Amino acid sequence: MRRALIMTTAMLLVGIGCKATPPGKLETGTMTFIKHHLTIGNKKEKNPLPDTPETRADGKEAFGHYCVACHGMDGQNTGVPFVGNMSPPVPSLASKSVQSYTDGQLKRILDYGIKPSGMPGSKGTLSDDELWSIVIYLRHLPPRGSQGVPEMYTH
Amino acid sequence: MKKKWMLPVLFAGIVAALAFSSPAVWAQTAPQRIEVTAKRFAFSPSEITVKKGQPVVLVLKSEDVAHGIRFRELDVNLKVKAGGSAEVEFTPEKTGDFVGHCSVFCGAHHGSMAIRLHVVE
Repeated sequence: MRRALIMTTAMLLVGIGCKATPPGKLETGTMTFIKHHLTIGNKKEKNPLPDTPETRADGKEAFGHYCVACHGMDGQNTGVPFVGNMSPPVPSLASKSVQSYTDGQLKRILDYGIKPSGMPGSKGTLSDDELWSIVIYLRHLPPRGSQGVPEMYTH
Repeated sequence: MKKKWMLPVLFAGIVAALAFSSPAVWAQTAPQRIEVTAKRFAFSPSEITVKKGQPVVLVLKSEDVAHGIRFRELDVNLKVKAGGSAEVEFTPEKTGDFVGHCSVFCGAHHGSMAIRLHVVE
């Protein structure tokens, strides 16, 4: 009886873990808390680049290399065709859950990604200079939909 | 009669001044020309040394795709098309070591493509 209960509970947990439907509030809240406070460090590192129109433009350009494939030109998933099929979902980078990371945490995410989500690390693929400029761009994202659809999805 | 001799003497004087002037004087004013080759995912040479206050012509040649060199602290950004060549002139006004990065996305290891510039007195 006890073994059956354990097996049933385990199967339910596995089933919940494998589902591809959008996560509920509890799951989202729990994961957000874990990421912000436990798994994603580097809270205190400061951005060495100044926040200027030039560095924002640099960040936008660097973001355009391949971040746009999943996040759209505006960082808010505009025009990304598979965005509704991802689990965990691709967040809007303008959302509170993303914007409440410190600059250092955002840099850590850009460097090493977030496992087991689809967010890859970019350390070495982009330079530190470019990654820090992306952090600046993330703080000044344009209005949703204002940048159009990524060129790769227009043909 | 005196005027007749003045012009050749003056001309000879100028020629002599140019001929016997120190090459160092010329070197100070002529920009230092440095050629760098870019090929995914490295610059060659990977380190260059220049003098503070001396103009530099930096020539960038691509052996494959489009590349660039950017020294943010020196406000230098040079881009070159695939297989092409481009150059920029600048005068470093501060000493130190500066790391330049490829400024045109060129592939998987683009972010590690760097060159070190030493500016000495």
